[in-house]
Amino acid sequence: MTEPIRIEGLTVRYGRSTACRDVSLCVAPGSVYALLGRNGAGKSSLVRCLLGEQKPSAGRTLLFGADAWATRKAAMARIGIVPEEPDAPPGMTARELSDFCRRIYPRWDAAAVMARLQRFGVPPKTPFGRLSKGQKGEVMLALALGHAPEALILDDPTLGLDVVARSALYEEIVGELADRGTTVFVTTHDLAGFEGIVTRVGILKEGKLILDEEMEALKARFRRIRYANRLTDTRTAFGTELDAFHAERVRVRGWGIEAIVSNFDDAVFERFRAIDGVDDASAEAVPLEEIFLAVAGEEKGAGQ
Amino acid sequence: MAGLRIDPSDATPIWSQIEEGLRRLVASGALAPGAVVPSVRDLAKELRVNPATVAKAFQRLTDAGVLTVRRGDGTYVADAPPAMSRTDRARILREAATRYASLAATLGVTKEEAAEALRAAWKKGDKS
Repeated sequence: MTEPIRIEGLTVRYGRSTACRDVSLCVAPGSVYALLGRNGAGKSSLVRCLLGEQKPSAGRTLLFGADAWATRKAAMARIGIVPEEPDAPPGMTARELSDFCRRIYPRWDAAAVMARLQRFGVPPKTPFGRLSKGQKGEVMLALALGHAPEALILDDPTLGLDVVARSALYEEIVGELADRGTTVFVTTHDLAGFEGIVTRVGILKEGKLILDEEMEALKARFRRIRYANRLTDTRTAFGTELDAFHAERVRVRGWGIEAIVSNFDDAVFERFRAIDGVDDASAEAVPLEEIFLAVAGEEKGAGQ
Repeated sequence: MAGLRIDPSDATPIWSQIEEGLRRLVASGALAPGAVVPSVRDLAKELRVNPATVAKAFQRLTDAGVLTVRRGDGTYVADAPPAMSRTDRARILREAATRYASLAATLGVTKEEAAEALRAAWKKGDKS
């Protein structure tokens, strides 16, 4: 089966600045891929290329095997899109928008669209321009799913949504995954909300894809290690004892050292604890948000 | 589903947390033999996790004879779910004990205080 999304050597330049540098990634059928990055990391340029809205400077993006720039039309019938900025004619109601889409998509399921809007609590007869930001996003999602797409591209879908609207969005996405095994590609800053849903994570930093990994493997190798130490003269200084774990970020606290490490291993940790001078060592799992901060943040550890 | 809690941030894979959690509910009798188990879809929504993760846990529990699937009807706790093997029980206990011990160490409490808290929690569990 062809992958719903494949990006090969994507490079996007604007004059002298480069937004994406040789990015390659692949979204397998049925997976949920989260692309993370700070503002300005190149996410928007990548998504525009993915949707065929922008021509790459080099490389290409493929939707179901077809070049997104060259043959956008064929793949669009198989893809649903929720743009970062909800956009529709302000005078049209959700129902009118759905009717309009029905003329474009042969497989349009108007009843399912209206059922979704009802679950979201979006009034079907209010003009789009008078809906709240959250409601606009919900209309976009309902419309994106209207032709039962095989893949869903969500560009920061929870931006500006309150807790209730976010919760409704997750429920809808999880339901969609359960019912139809839809492939999802999502860019987001809401890492905690997507943490349990995502199967693979990519992190963009300064245009480069610096991480591209299965969520389970990622969680398995990251830990927060804390210890007090008597290895050096001052309790808060640290040396090479963390090297085996590959410390991504080290913080010096009053009681000792706190490090986010990316190469954790139980056996190595047992040896670490046994080092004379390492006291009260503990290791705990790290939420995706902190993994992201450690990998994509600017700071590269104190004492360097 | 009451009593089933998972932590997506935990290093233990989510499917494994769900599997272990359901085994525990069955072992404690909170889920009786023959009881209905929520659908993959509903449980995934409730826990806000990928349905494939829930399906994996259900599949493993079905293979182990803890759950049974009745075609077109849903998933149930098996009429006679197998008791957990001695090695599994020992492993789960060891893992949970390690987590508790490292938490206690992080909080800076003594071994005796930690043991006392465990005894108190045990007593509370007996009453409910």
